[in-house]
Amino acid sequence: MINLLKVLYKKEVLDASRDKRSVMAGLYYAIGTPIAMCLLLSVLLQQLTSPEGLKITLINAEQAPSLVAHLKTNEIDSTDDKNDAQLKPITLKISDDYQKNMREGHPATVTLIADKSNDKLGKHISRIERALASYNSEVASLRLISRGIDPSIMRTIAVQTHDEATPDSKGGMFLGIATLSIILTVFYAAMNLAIDTSAGERERNSLSLLLSHPLSSLQIVLAKSAAIATFSMIGLVLILIVSKITYGLVPWEQLGFSITITPTFMLFCFAVCLPIALMSASLQVFVSFMAKSFKEAQSYVTMVLFIPMALSMVTTYDIATDIIQWVPIAAQQYALIEFIKGNPVPVPQLVLSTLITVVLFAVFSWLSSKMLKSEKVVFGL
Amino acid sequence: MIKVTDLTKKIGDVNALNGLSFSAQNGQITGLLGPNGAGKTTCLRTVFGLLSADSGHTEIDGIDVAKNPMAAKQNLGLFPDPCGLYERLTPREYITFFAQLSGLSSTKAKAATQDVIAKLSMEDIADRRCQGFSQGQRMKTALAQAVVHNPSNVILDEPTRGLDVMSTRILRELLKLLKAQGHCVLFSSHVMQEVAALCDHVVIMVKGKVIAEGSVEQLCEKAGKTTLEEAFIALIGSDEGIAA
Repeated sequence: MINLLKVLYKKEVLDASRDKRSVMAGLYYAIGTPIAMCLLLSVLLQQLTSPEGLKITLINAEQAPSLVAHLKTNEIDSTDDKNDAQLKPITLKISDDYQKNMREGHPATVTLIADKSNDKLGKHISRIERALASYNSEVASLRLISRGIDPSIMRTIAVQTHDEATPDSKGGMFLGIATLSIILTVFYAAMNLAIDTSAGERERNSLSLLLSHPLSSLQIVLAKSAAIATFSMIGLVLILIVSKITYGLVPWEQLGFSITITPTFMLFCFAVCLPIALMSASLQVFVSFMAKSFKEAQSYVTMVLFIPMALSMVTTYDIATDIIQWVPIAAQQYALIEFIKGNPVPVPQLVLSTLITVVLFAVFSWLSSKMLKSEKVVFGL
Repeated sequence: MIKVTDLTKKIGDVNALNGLSFSAQNGQITGLLGPNGAGKTTCLRTVFGLLSADSGHTEIDGIDVAKNPMAAKQNLGLFPDPCGLYERLTPREYITFFAQLSGLSSTKAKAATQDVIAKLSMEDIADRRCQGFSQGQRMKTALAQAVVHNPSNVILDEPTRGLDVMSTRILRELLKLLKAQGHCVLFSSHVMQEVAALCDHVVIMVKGKVIAEGSVEQLCEKAGKTTLEEAFIALIGSDEGIAA
């Protein structure tokens, strides 16, 4: 039994490894995802931390030199050049009696003219409004001081926030996405191989020849699943290595947290994902055998893989209810996130979900081996 | 020895096998002759346990295929139609793989593979991947796979399709050698010359039933014709399928 399994497994791995296109398709995912994510993060971080210069049209600027200077310190500038790329369609009109009202201590009118339905302008408008508000309170404070009044009388409560987040726990969302990409590798890296070795094998008529030899259909299914899982795990190792390198290049310090892939995390991840890889392989084999043709299998497998993706998404965006934290994939991803944050790993959830994962692997394998006994499935009748 | 008794099998609305009975003896080449759609492939697949018959039973060396498929398959070699090659493996890898599946150890399988490659003179293609093989090269590879583990019974489904003259001669020699070694050889065909040249025993089936069997001479005599082809047409009662 074991010997035959070894023979079958070796042949599956050899056959699959020569299917260069399918192997590469899986590896592109494993290599490409972390690189793409890091590029995206770097761009995002840059936008968050260094606000771009903002240029608007100022009317009557000479009326309010100190306001204009204040705006300038907030990197809000004015320009008359209509072709300036940084010029936004926002106009700040300073009223003609601005100086007079200022002198007399009356509210001086400043009109902000912009299209508020334009989503792209929203953040610029609120940036100008913030700058105007801070100028407003600055001048008001000075006026109070000049009248001998403590300006703090204007502040009824003083809000203080103590941030308890550690640098690593702050990156929750980013961590979620990083672990999502790692878990999904296990499902997607060997998807083409899984379809090729099951639906493909039937389409090439070698399945019936295989079945006419003295071996059980369960042995065939187990060998196939093991071979597919091997390629999934190769994808996993690859994405971990690429992630380790690329995440090291992201300027995390600007956000006050970091994602570091340590060797211990890589080992932990490997151990947690191994049962998932087996389950994923047996699931894909099962679905592929259910389909009548290679093409049908491709669409079914893609559809079925939405389930793990949804479970993983739920964890990533932290909308999981208490029950979902016990469900396979969600629980394992949760454990990975906690591990990377340096928090204690939720052991009961992890153990139970891993057990369920193994049981699912057994069930899918058994169902596939049952199907291979049906002539309808074998000959695609 | 392969013995088929009263097999029936319905596929969809068609009675593919309709009370089929015949036997193929050791040390003989038995030909299963019939027009297209007569149920030849269905019959062979049933012998292999890939299809289960609705009624009747199949015995290989006295072992009931339905009751003990593992033991029964141990004594079989199959040359299927279509060939079922693994395009990305070389014939050597392919043949060794199936030899091991049939129970040979790794070293024995390699030695047996080398033997059969030499016997079928396919050294030139043995280490090339099957992708892009000609029909003849595919057939040779599949044939090598069927006989590599030296099974007592060899079943061939349309073994001469697409073979050139040289390969057909090699196939004939191989089948005769198997016969001389005391193997039971059963093959299906609709090529009259092939059957006439090779078979000791011919089973003619139409619509899932045996309508006549015996040696080529006996069949000719029975139909009162001089060639197997004419006897065949006379026996099945129409020229249906001959054109194919």
